[in-house]
Amino acid sequence: MRENNSILYVQYPALSKKTMERYLRQSLIDWFPQKRVQNCRIAIVGCGAIGNEVAKNLALIGIGSIDLFDFDSIEIDNLTKSVLFREENVGSMKVEIIAVRLTELNPDISVMPHQGDFWDTLSLLQMNNYSCIIGCVDNFAARIRLNLMCKVAGCNFIDTGIDSKFVQVSIFPYKNNSSASCYECSLPNSVYARMQERYSCGWLRNLTFIEKKIPTTVITASLAGSLATSQALQLLIEDKPKHSSRLFANSFTGETMISKIEKNNQCPCCADLKKTIVITSKSALIDSVVLNFADKNQLIATSEPILISMRCINCDPEHDVKIIFDKAEKFDSSHTVCPRCSFESVVFDIRDRFSVSELKKYFSGRYLPVKFIRGDSVDSTTIIEME
Amino acid sequence: MSEISITIQTADRSKKAEVSLGVNSTGEDVLQAAISNWSLPTDTDYSLVNVVSGKTIKSNSSLRASFIRDGDVLEVQPVLVAG
Repeated sequence: MRENNSILYVQYPALSKKTMERYLRQSLIDWFPQKRVQNCRIAIVGCGAIGNEVAKNLALIGIGSIDLFDFDSIEIDNLTKSVLFREENVGSMKVEIIAVRLTELNPDISVMPHQGDFWDTLSLLQMNNYSCIIGCVDNFAARIRLNLMCKVAGCNFIDTGIDSKFVQVSIFPYKNNSSASCYECSLPNSVYARMQERYSCGWLRNLTFIEKKIPTTVITASLAGSLATSQALQLLIEDKPKHSSRLFANSFTGETMISKIEKNNQCPCCADLKKTIVITSKSALIDSVVLNFADKNQLIATSEPILISMRCINCDPEHDVKIIFDKAEKFDSSHTVCPRCSFESVVFDIRDRFSVSELKKYFSGRYLPVKFIRGDSVDSTTIIEME
Repeated sequence: MSEISITIQTADRSKKAEVSLGVNSTGEDVLQAAISNWSLPTDTDYSLVNVVSGKTIKSNSSLRASFIRDGDVLEVQPVLVAG
């Protein structure tokens, strides 16, 4: 561990006899730092097929604390790919079942299930506690959000993805190198176009959109789980990786390829982030939040779009808008139809940028319905997470 | 030099072509040509990787800006989304 250019040697507590016996074989591996493994904490976001494999691996090697994040319950078709689920678990929450199984596999470790969307249950300030976060999610929107959180919090991030043949494991060592390229740096434009299909009128959920199900097998899931666990160990043991890279493997042929992820100066996630990032936590009351910004012209970006107002162009006079001021993602395409005239005539004001003076003037007394806000100065980015 | 000769291949190596492209072509142009000529599934997203240098190629960047040289091999890899 390095701090202020000096090396601090961390003293870990001695291992009990039983624990030493459990890990006897691992302790024979010259590069395997069992004590460090036992004292670290790793989060798994997404507890599907890959999440199962990663969780099982981390528990067996003896990672001391494992946090699990997922909102979903177990379905019967999960059973062909998920080593920790049983038929009698169908209908139960994934995080709860995995927590029980991991404790059975290794009673020495601590497992904390967090049920719900990680966007709501994982705090930016809490991310400092993790050696790394392993993303095992199943859609681009969640990856983009998780990457953003890891990038601003300076937390090492490992992203995983599979299909029926290929495996992809990417490592983003944000803790080791704050300017490392990020997940979005290499994301093709087509991903954003595809993500927009989920929405109509900008940011309202499109009710007609059906998420494509991608067929996978436990073969690619277990390969991804092994590679991701190995990368997590690399980060833990060597503190070495400084550059973001991607490992791409063909599970049929065994061929693998490692590529360096190049920094993108037009990256929508990290291009505008300043070198210094300050994260604080505050009440979401606008009058309290704006006190952090001395410049009334300071532009504030919200972590997600806010639906400010809506108005039916047939029924409502031009200046008679209905103020909503809530997350745009709570609304869907059905709201474009006016309940009075039944025409698709409702227009929306949806935004994710505000000036400080505007917030004070028009929205005083309201609460910001977002995860965090961001303000950039010349040399630093300020992130305020809503309490 | 306004053109470079490179090899483009799919991730499973089942399709491979030697082509000459203008140095101002972008990564996106290469991907679109591969998807179209090889009838790759259009419900998947792809990224481009230079097998020789081991670097990802940004879709907006030109081949010149990505330092692609004669003889380089570019691989079209699916961006995997399932977990």
